Amino acid sequence: QHGRVKIKSTAQQEEEKRKEREKKLKIYIAARDACFSKRKEGICDDEALQLTQQLLSSNPDFATLWNYRREILMHLEDEVQKIYEAELSFLESCLKVNPKSYGSWHHRGWVSARLPQPDWARELSLCDRCLSLDDRNFHCWDYRRMVVKMSGVPVDQELGFTDHLIGSNFSNYSSWHYRSTLLPLLHPESPEPLCLSEYELVQNAFFTDPNDQSAWFYYRWLLGRGITKLVTCGALFLSLVFQAQSVGLLLVLDGQPQRVEWRSVHPRFKHSPVWICDLPPGTISDITNEHNLTVHWTEKHTHRDCALYTGRTESYCRDSATDQELFRSELSVEKTSVLQSELQSCNQLQELEPLNKWCLLTIILLMRALDPLGYEKETLAHFQTLKEVDSMRSAYYSDLCSKFMIENTILKMEYAEVRVFSISDKNLTTLCHLDQLLLVTHINLSSNQLQRLPPQFAMLQCLEVLEADNNNIENLEGLFCLSKLEEINLKNNNISTLADLQPLASCPKIKRLDLRGNPVTQMAKIEAELAELLPSVTDILL
Amino acid sequence: MAAEDLPSEFDVVILGTGLAESVVAAACSRVGQRVLHLDRNSYYAANWASFTFNGLLTWIQQHHEESQPEEVQDWSSLLEEGEELIYLSYSDSTSISNLQQTADSEGVEPTADLPRPSAIQGQSEASRKKISYAQLVKEGRQFNIDLVSKLMFSRGSLVDLLIKSNVSRYAEFKNVTRILTYRHGNVEQVPCSRADVFASRQLSVVEKRKLMRFLTSCLEETEEQQGEMNIVFSLFLCDQQLGDNLEHFLLHSIAMVTEDTPTEVGLASTRHFLRCLGRYGNTPFLFPVYGLGEIPQCFCRMSAVFGGVYCLRHSVRCLLVDKDNRCKAVIDSRGQRISCSHFVVDSSFSLMNFVSSCLPPQVSMVTVPPIAAGFPVVMMVELCSSTMTCLPGTYLVHLTCQSVGSAFDDLSPVVTKMFHTPETDDQETRPSVLWCLYFNMADGLDVEVEGHNLPSNVYLCSGPDGHLGHDHAIRQAQLIFQKILPEEDFCPPAPNPEDVLYDGESLLPTGGGGGDNSGWGEKGEETKENPQTEE
Repeated sequence: QHGRVKIKSTAQQEEEKRKEREKKLKIYIAARDACFSKRKEGICDDEALQLTQQLLSSNPDFATLWNYRREILMHLEDEVQKIYEAELSFLESCLKVNPKSYGSWHHRGWVSARLPQPDWARELSLCDRCLSLDDRNFHCWDYRRMVVKMSGVPVDQELGFTDHLIGSNFSNYSSWHYRSTLLPLLHPESPEPLCLSEYELVQNAFFTDPNDQSAWFYYRWLLGRGITKLVTCGALFLSLVFQAQSVGLLLVLDGQPQRVEWRSVHPRFKHSPVWICDLPPGTISDITNEHNLTVHWTEKHTHRDCALYTGRTESYCRDSATDQELFRSELSVEKTSVLQSELQSCNQLQELEPLNKWCLLTIILLMRALDPLGYEKETLAHFQTLKEVDSMRSAYYSDLCSKFMIENTILKMEYAEVRVFSISDKNLTTLCHLDQLLLVTHINLSSNQLQRLPPQFAMLQCLEVLEADNNNIENLEGLFCLSKLEEINLKNNNISTLADLQPLASCPKIKRLDLRGNPVTQMAKIEAELAELLPSVTDILL
Repeated sequence: MAAEDLPSEFDVVILGTGLAESVVAAACSRVGQRVLHLDRNSYYAANWASFTFNGLLTWIQQHHEESQPEEVQDWSSLLEEGEELIYLSYSDSTSISNLQQTADSEGVEPTADLPRPSAIQGQSEASRKKISYAQLVKEGRQFNIDLVSKLMFSRGSLVDLLIKSNVSRYAEFKNVTRILTYRHGNVEQVPCSRADVFASRQLSVVEKRKLMRFLTSCLEETEEQQGEMNIVFSLFLCDQQLGDNLEHFLLHSIAMVTEDTPTEVGLASTRHFLRCLGRYGNTPFLFPVYGLGEIPQCFCRMSAVFGGVYCLRHSVRCLLVDKDNRCKAVIDSRGQRISCSHFVVDSSFSLMNFVSSCLPPQVSMVTVPPIAAGFPVVMMVELCSSTMTCLPGTYLVHLTCQSVGSAFDDLSPVVTKMFHTPETDDQETRPSVLWCLYFNMADGLDVEVEGHNLPSNVYLCSGPDGHLGHDHAIRQAQLIFQKILPEEDFCPPAPNPEDVLYDGESLLPTGGGGGDNSGWGEKGEETKENPQTEE
């Protein structure tokens, strides 16, 4: 048509592009081969420098060439400053080709570190430019940290830098995380006045966008500062059970070191909070006398004393930790008031956004930190909502809720020496903190949603009666070597094969076993098989 | 340009180089139509133009002078069998009225105070130096003062068209950096993007949550909103229990509508604003460097690259219409008959008034709600010198509103509130006005493309409308293009210069141009510059 501009067809354009590419590839391959052969011969000259530069500027991810380049640079001795500076500006062009090139950033770090008169301000501004283009470029973050360290940028200035980045985009884990490394440097003692402005900052973020995870994670870190859980270290004697972190234990009985074998409660555990040993036969023959036992923990240079009083077969001692401190640390008055006001803010947000999972979870954690028993009802209600709004993670919430329920039940036990532990009908999906229940003789877990008795269950060395009716238990691994266990109630569970009952054979005293309502009872000749597996049992309900 | 005769035959003749006309010109040339594009002024872009300070003074001068009635000539010798003459009469002067400069410009070199670094927020007073009127005139070339104040919505139809057609390569743009509003006697920042809301100091965290939630729900078009359609937007906002702060921001600065706008319109407008956020920055607006007058010129340039013929200071006197009421040809201001299949003309029919005034002072957009009952909503755009529209150290401020009375009556109360003028005697921190011009311009919003008892192949382009964006003009251009060439693609992407095939067999630079080698037709030459382009 008249006047219409004629344009090359797509095929023409592609043909041209293809030819262009072919030509480029030819040059590239020739240069590469030249480089390799030069390196083989150990030549470190200007030409090699130029060849590698030519290749790297089109493909900055060629690690071998960077290595060769470093070899050449180390070889050069004259005008180091000038050559290295040229190297830096060459690297800049490589970073433009690929801002996430491992090779380029690593090389830049190497060059900067060797530069006789480094210009750190320039490097910082380069990082700023890169981060303004992509605030999550972790290569740049890494390099920046190196620059900051080498040039000694003051911490408060760096904090200001994160202020700036968070201000332009607060969905940025890198900036928040950097902040969490800077704050403790600036204020090692977690001073509340500073934290207040910090709380304000992060609140602004999660009120603006409550679905953004980065702020919530930072918030949890901030709240968690100074709430580290205490590790309690109790000791319990019996046939001899000691609660400790690891092996390296030495037993002294009435002043006499004893040669004993320590073992964990289950062969699966190499690390365990509970260790058992058998006393050599005859070491305590007369229980009419008082005996003093000491366990030395050689690794940590600590020891624990315990007395077995006249006429007793058991004794117990534990750290002086109060019940309140079992699962959380004591809060200072200031910390408590901060947490209270944070809880208020979160509740305010929850009113506006009743279905926000991050807010609900944070509220639960705050309530746990402040008053686990007082807030139990609210906590349970929030867990219910959480499971509904975030059904993908409902199992996680169930497990977390189980943990909190068990903690609360333990807190409610009036004395540590209470021997009966009952936690039925609480929707438990998992068992934990079993190391707190070493003395329990009677445990009631009925009507929960447990699927298994985990190996840790073997810590309940005093257990005589187990009630676990109406669960979904299909695995009894934890019923291992429980030497005092006599009665097991497993009505209406999900035990389906004889092999599942195999662990019970390691418990010598079992007399009564209730298996009604389990699939295993439908097996042929089940009675005969059970009689063979568990000869001690006199009373089996099928 | 040269006094040679124009070719006597074109497909489309376009009179006026306003935005819509220029887009039509580019679109037609791009698909191979022979386009003749004329403008009776010596500058491009008609009422969309940007002027240097001196250029603006000349423009004022012209509008103060009485327009001389054109002598009616007898063109009957050029008529063919069965044709009729329709004279085109221009009423351009009626589209601009109520011109008024402030006293400063009249004075003999008065030394005006200089605006602060950021005029609107009236920050530091450190860099106070004197700029005289004479200096303004002397440095006048550093100004590019728009007649119409508009901003480009970053997802509006203009930006989409610039990108689609590759015309964007002819211009540079800057982001508007902040959205402000005038409230309780103060200028406040309007938090609109996520980062703004996060950083805002004037909002409580609860307000932040409410605002973000409202904005997010706006984007989603929920059913709940559908139920509320029968009330006005301000009441709808009230029902959302957002609080005064947020209602003000949403109504005036984000939706940019009035109290009695229907909810549907308010929500659509809010949605548009939000969708434009984040494409190029934290505000939804772009501004072309060197002023808005650049945009029509960019389209003209595209047209010229594809063979469009350009001629300024050149007009059309009359149309030659056949018995079927179709325009067969035009007679230009030199008495030449030029046949054409379509004729597009800028309308000079004034229907409503809207006002723009200029004041010398970051790129900010400020919404000013009615300062009292009966006053209009004023849209204010403050341009810094990096937009290449004013002298370094000064700011260019445009105030625009739907006029109620004359420009001076409508706008001067706002000016007095926000700036230091000779009328305000208090020497406080507000920025000073160096020079100020008020005028009314006809609103082109209600001009229809066809009708008006015009021949069926003659189309009207309206002048600038009172809205902030450019949608109206672009829509109009598209409509006209579709009427002229219903089968053709509207502004398809222009090819890269290296992909253009030059006619190897022809040695003539304008090969294929019908033997016309007069230099009018420029084809495929990237180097073509618009004569009007500064620098």
